[in-house]
Parts: sequence; structure tokens; C-alpha cells
Amino acid sequence: MDPITILLVVVGCVIVGGVFASLGVHLLPVGGAPAAMGTATGIATGTIMLMLGAAVTGLFTASTVATFSTNILLVSFSGAVGSWIMMGVTMLMANVIYVFGSGLVPVSGRVEVDPITKEPQTPYKTPQCDGHGIPTVSYISGMAGAFIGGFGGAIMYFALLNYAFPAERLVELFAWELGKAATVSATMAAIAAIGIFVANAILAAYNIGGTIEGFHDPKFKRLPKALFSCFFVSLFCGVFVCVVALLGGLI
Amino acid sequence: MPIEAVAMLFAWMLVIVFLALIACMFEDLESDTGSQSNPNSQVQLAAQVGQVHRFFNKAISGEAPAYAMYCTTAGVIAYVLLLKGIHPLLAIPIGAAVGEAFHVIFATTAHIGRTAGSKRFEQPLYLDVLYGHLLPIATHGFMAVLCIVSIAYIQSNLGTLSGMSGLNHPFALPMLAFIWGITVGAIGSSTGDIHYGTEREFQDRPFGEGRRVVYHGKITRYAECGIRTQKDIVGFCVKYGGPCTGLTFGLIILFENWRTLVGMKLGGFLPDLQAINGDMAAILGIVIGIVIGIVLIMGNVTLVKWARKRYGPFVGE
Amino acid sequence: MGEEEQKEEEEEKKPKAEFKFPPDETGLGIISAVIAVIIVILPGTWVPAVIKAIGVIFALLWGADSVRKTSKYGLGTGVPSIGVLAMGYGIIGALLGIAFVKFAEPMGPFSSVAALGGVLLMAVVGYISGVFSNHEKIIAMKIPGLERGMMELGMAGSIAMLLQFSIVAGSLSFDKVLSTAIGTGAIALMFVLSMMAMFHPYNACLGPDEKRPRTLVTSVEISGLLCLILGIVLAATATPVWGLGGVVDGVILIAFSGIVWLVFYVKFVKECMRESDSVVGTGLIRTIE
Repeated sequence: MDPITILLVVVGCVIVGGVFASLGVHLLPVGGAPAAMGTATGIATGTIMLMLGAAVTGLFTASTVATFSTNILLVSFSGAVGSWIMMGVTMLMANVIYVFGSGLVPVSGRVEVDPITKEPQTPYKTPQCDGHGIPTVSYISGMAGAFIGGFGGAIMYFALLNYAFPAERLVELFAWELGKAATVSATMAAIAAIGIFVANAILAAYNIGGTIEGFHDPKFKRLPKALFSCFFVSLFCGVFVCVVALLGGLI
Repeated sequence: MPIEAVAMLFAWMLVIVFLALIACMFEDLESDTGSQSNPNSQVQLAAQVGQVHRFFNKAISGEAPAYAMYCTTAGVIAYVLLLKGIHPLLAIPIGAAVGEAFHVIFATTAHIGRTAGSKRFEQPLYLDVLYGHLLPIATHGFMAVLCIVSIAYIQSNLGTLSGMSGLNHPFALPMLAFIWGITVGAIGSSTGDIHYGTEREFQDRPFGEGRRVVYHGKITRYAECGIRTQKDIVGFCVKYGGPCTGLTFGLIILFENWRTLVGMKLGGFLPDLQAINGDMAAILGIVIGIVIGIVLIMGNVTLVKWARKRYGPFVGE
Repeated sequence: MGEEEQKEEEEEKKPKAEFKFPPDETGLGIISAVIAVIIVILPGTWVPAVIKAIGVIFALLWGADSVRKTSKYGLGTGVPSIGVLAMGYGIIGALLGIAFVKFAEPMGPFSSVAALGGVLLMAVVGYISGVFSNHEKIIAMKIPGLERGMMELGMAGSIAMLLQFSIVAGSLSFDKVLSTAIGTGAIALMFVLSMMAMFHPYNACLGPDEKRPRTLVTSVEISGLLCLILGIVLAATATPVWGLGGVVDGVILIAFSGIVWLVFYVKFVKECMRESDSVVGTGLIRTIE
């Protein structure tokens, strides 16, 4: 590819990554500290930690797949499925602890009827609580969020690895052996992708104020604001990464 | 023999899964020992609502960055020692010990800093609580960090260990330790905390209901015998919350590595490592992953249905 | 050079003597920024690692003060998030910085001035994200001074990261940074410990009786730990034994940062014990009505 196309692809992938990170954060059912006490619906941890945990699990699989596949979609979907599984197992086991460890019925606090299974929620809810556990609708929403977030992280990693900091170019420039160049390129792409991803996820987390139940939560309507901010922040980051690659002589 | 190499690859994967199981279990128990992460908000709140307590207040951010820090520190030290030609059996434990030294330092600053920060609520600084918890924190954390750094070491040398040198992971060891540190922390706080926060922290409240807002801060301060400290909590959480958390991380690592390896095997990429078969391997890995995910969703739907039917609507006030 | 060092040590001693940070938030920000920037723009190969470590300490101190100032109003996601944000920007800023240095390298020995380009660009991004978060039509967090806080955090993160690159690699030259700081994975350590140095102080001292000097002492202490590990990495990976960027330089850095850590750690523990309600060996609990 000619340099201009490469630059456009890198910026595009970084923007996709950032915006998907933001969208993923909005879909995750995160309850924060109250969820750890069974006072709120969702997973009992911070938004950013959870999204980052899911995304880096995906990133690990994506980086493994990127060693034997050069198809951007395959690598990105591998990462997405990695995050998907991470979130699926985590939420399932969280529910196992809620149900068998504390005797709670997973129930949503924000809607009266589960939009997917049409089961009533309010009668099962403890008074003075904002729901507890991870009901089916939040589970599905969380799986979707992890899939999207993982896809974003992996596509950003792939673009940085193969287009912005390619190992072959490092070999040409500094006369390193290929193994070392591959490590440098992969580590640099991963840490830059994590940096950009986390900045976008934090802006999205500020938008939802720390807790959200999923796509059925009223806070989900604030999504466009976060997408708008994340688009511009990722645009800047993408352009900067291109500047690094250009001035460093990597393109 | 290539077939033996493939068998070795699967064997190493199972070793990693085993280590992951132990790592995350100890991670969760350590966070219960120090009362880290989300349930800590109640420990912090307790003094403010007039309930002086003898809990350890280890507020080192969320577990994910905290574990990323210990594991990365341990990873860097281990990596440096490996560069100097020291055997991994020595380098990895030394690294983990340094990581734990950092952990103890951070734990001290967090506990005394937060206690001094709630001076106006007359929360005293109990020295026996401070000193008595540092060692349990360090030992539990050491197990977790040791396992994570071992995982990072095995993965970054997977190809060399199994006899197919093309399969070494491209990330450097500290980077892998960083990644698994974040993941182990995220999982430990999102599943393990529930057993401690919902059940053990409010054990004198009715079982089977969410902890109402009026209870917040009024944690169970008395133990089976005497006044409760964090050490009593570990003995409770080790019976259910800890193993469940360990299982979570173990399953994630199992599914992740297993689907990639099976995809590589069925796609014809193993044992010859022909680049032409790479795409097929990736596709098969994705398909297996999606099937696993669908099974997980079905499992959750069944679990929620079961709980609703068995437990019924909320009774009581 | 010598004067520079003396001046900085004076700056550091002052709070020690009175246990106060005399400059207010703005003052400390400016002082730390100026010191850190001076150390960044000096050519990396002229400056021993110890001086760079002082720069790191000041940059992270500035960041910790900004975190404290911003998260006093409650962010909704806990204190740590903003420190992580700072280092997320810091990584991009530092990569930009070393790329600019490579671009400016043919122009003369003071090419490391160009690294400031990355810092300034990150200040712009930080300011923009602050505006986005605070503007009432967008995210509307309504935190006074968030724009400035995020701008400072972006800058502090980038400067700290650049200086750490410089410590490990010996200079800011592109290929050396890539092979010694990034290829070894040390960048992950820099990322995670720098963000700890920024957000852990305020997070650890949180409470109604939180005091600014005590919080900032924690930041210096953690920076000491960070420099200790960087010293170990430098001493272990450096090829020359003597001279700047060599093994001995690393060992000196280890000694220096060990002392910094010890002094500030002891200071923090003593101060906390003095300022907490009461320190008892053991005791029963009571319920205060």
C-alpha cells in the first residue's frame, strides 16, 4: 500500500477502536461498589478496570493470532471473541456467587420487565436496593459490549502492529534481528493501543457516571455525547501515532 | 517428533490453566485479607457512621491496576535476572518477592493514610491490626504474583519449551505479566468481591436479600469469637468465593488458549507452522469461541430461571 | 549543571524541614514543570540518571497534585481513573516526543528540545478532552478546573514518561528507546508505576481529614520506588560499566532512589501516626453515637 493509504487506515482503525471502546463501556453492566454489596445490578467493579481486563484478554488472543494470520478482520474477531469469553465467564461466575453464595435472585432495578425474556423484575427485588445480580438482559448487553470493545482494541492493535510500527521496517532501519524487531513492534503496538483504549474508556465512564446496567438503562441515551468526544480524542491520537510512525521513519 | 511437540503444547497450556486457577484464587483471598477494592467502601464508611472497627483498610486503587503493578514489577525483575543468565526457578520467585515488597509498602501507606484521613470519626490506628495483616497480605499476594509471572514466563517461551520455536509469544515477559495482572485483578474484583461484600461483610443481616442502603457502613464488626479482623474473613471466603474466582480465571485461560490451539491443530497450522494455513486456524478458533460463548449465555439463562423459580418473589419487609 | 542540582535539592529539602509544601497548587505546578522541562531538554547523554530521576519525581508530584485538585469534587468512577488517563496520554506524548527528537537529530546536539513538541501536543489533547468532559452540552461533569487539570495531567504524564525513557535508554534517541525501554517491556512498568505515583497518594489519603503535604509526600515516596526499579533495569541492561548511562550510573540511581524512598516513607508513616486520632497497640472497639 502507498503511504497515504496506510496513514488513512491507521487513523481509521484508531478511531474505530476508540469509538468501539466507548460503545463497549456503555453496554457493560457495571455496578461498581454497590454491586459488591448486592445493592445495585451489575458486575462489582469499576467500568474501566472491567473493560480493560476484557480488552487485554482479547488483545492477548489477537496478538497470538496476529503471529500466524495477516487478515485484519480475523485478528480483530479473535480479539473480540476473547473479550466475549472473558466477560461471559466472569458474569456467569458472578451470578453463581450471587445465587448460591448470597441467595439472591438476579434482578434489574431500572426496568420492571426484562426486555428480552419478558420476566417481571420488581417483585423479586429487595426493597431499598437498586437491583442485584446480573439478569439476562444485562448479561446479553455485557456480552455485546465486551465483543465490541474487544474488537476495537484488537483492530487498533493490528493496525499499529502491521501498518504503523511494522517489524520489517525496524529490521531495515536499525539492522536488528527479526525476533527482536517483532518483540519491539508488538510491545509498542500493544502499549500504545492500551493507552488510547483506556483514555477513551475513561471518557465514556465519565459519561455514565461510573455505573450502568446495559442498553436498557436510561443512562444509555447519553451515548452520542461520549461517542462524539471519543471520536475527536481518537482522531487526535490516531494522527499522533501516524506522526510518530512518519517521523520515526517507520512508514 | 512434531506430534510430540503438539502434545507438549497442550500440556503446557494445561500447566498455565492450573497456575491461573491458583493465581486468581489467591488473588481474591489476598484482596479479602486486605479489604481491597469495592467492599472497602463499606470499611471506609463504617468509621464515618460511627462504627469504629478493626478492619484493614487497604485502598490501593482498584485491584486491576494494583495487580498490574505487582506483576509487572515482578516481571521486570525476573526478566532482568533472566537476562543475566540466572535460572528461571530462581529468577521468578525473586521477582515475585520484590513485587510483594512493593505490595506491602503500598498496603502500609494506604491503611495508615486512610486511618489518618478519618481522624474526626475517632477511628484509632490499631498497630496489631497493621502489623498482623502485612504478612498474610504478602504471602497470599506472593502466591498470586508467582503464578502470574510463571504464566508470563511460560507463554513468552512457549515455543522453546514445547520444541516449536516459532510459537514464542511476541510480547516481552513484563508486558505479559502486565496483561495478566490487569485481567486477574479485574476478575478478582468482579467475582470474588461479591462473596466478601454481600455475605461476609453483612453477615448479621438476613440471608437472601440485597444489602439495603440503610445497612451501608454498618458492617459486621464482631466475629464468631471476639472482634472481627480481616483474618477471620479469609477463612470464610476460602470456602466459596475464592475457589469460584480461581475457577473463573482458570476457565478463561483454558477457553482462550484451548480454542486457539484447537483451531491451529484443526486448521492444519500445527505441527508444520505453514503460514498458508494460518487464516483457517484463526477462523476455526473464532467459531469455537463463539460456540463457547453461546453455551455460556444459555448457562446464565438457565441459572437465572432456576433462581427465580426456586427462590420465588421477595418475601419479607 | 551543579547549580541546577543544588537548586533542586533545596526545593526538595524545604518541605522536609517544615513539613509543608509552601507553593500552592499553581505554584507547585509551575515550579515542578519548569524543573522537569529543563531536565528533559538537556541532552540525555550529558545528564546522569540521578538528575533525570529528580525530574521524574517532580513531574509525578505535579501530576499527583493535579489529580488531588481534580478528584476532590468526585469523579463518579473513583480517583484512579484520572491517573490512568494521564498515563494513557503520557505514552502517546512520549512516543511523539522521541519521534520529534529523531526528526530534529541532524540539527545539532540540543535535539532533545524537540521532545517538548510531544508534551505540548498532549497538552492540547488533554485540554480538549477536559473541555469535552466539562462542557454542559457534552459530558457535563461540572468539575471546576477540569480542563486545566487534564491538560496538566497530559503534560506531566508525557514528561515523566520521556524522562523515564531517558533514564533507561541513556538518551532520547529513537532506536535506543525502542530497543531498551520498549522491547524489554519496561514501558509497562513505567506506565503502571507512574500512574500509581499520580493517583495512589490521593486515593490512599482520602478522607475528610486529608492533608495536602501528606498526600504529596506519598507521591515522592512512590516515585522513589519507581526510580529504584528503573535503576535496576539500567544497571542490568547497560553495556558500558563507567560513564553516563552505564552500570555505575544505574547503581548510583538505585542508592539515591532508595534513600529518597526511605526518607519519605518514614516521614509519611510518622506524620500519619501523629495525625491520626490515636495510635494504640491493640484495643477493643466501641460504637460512637
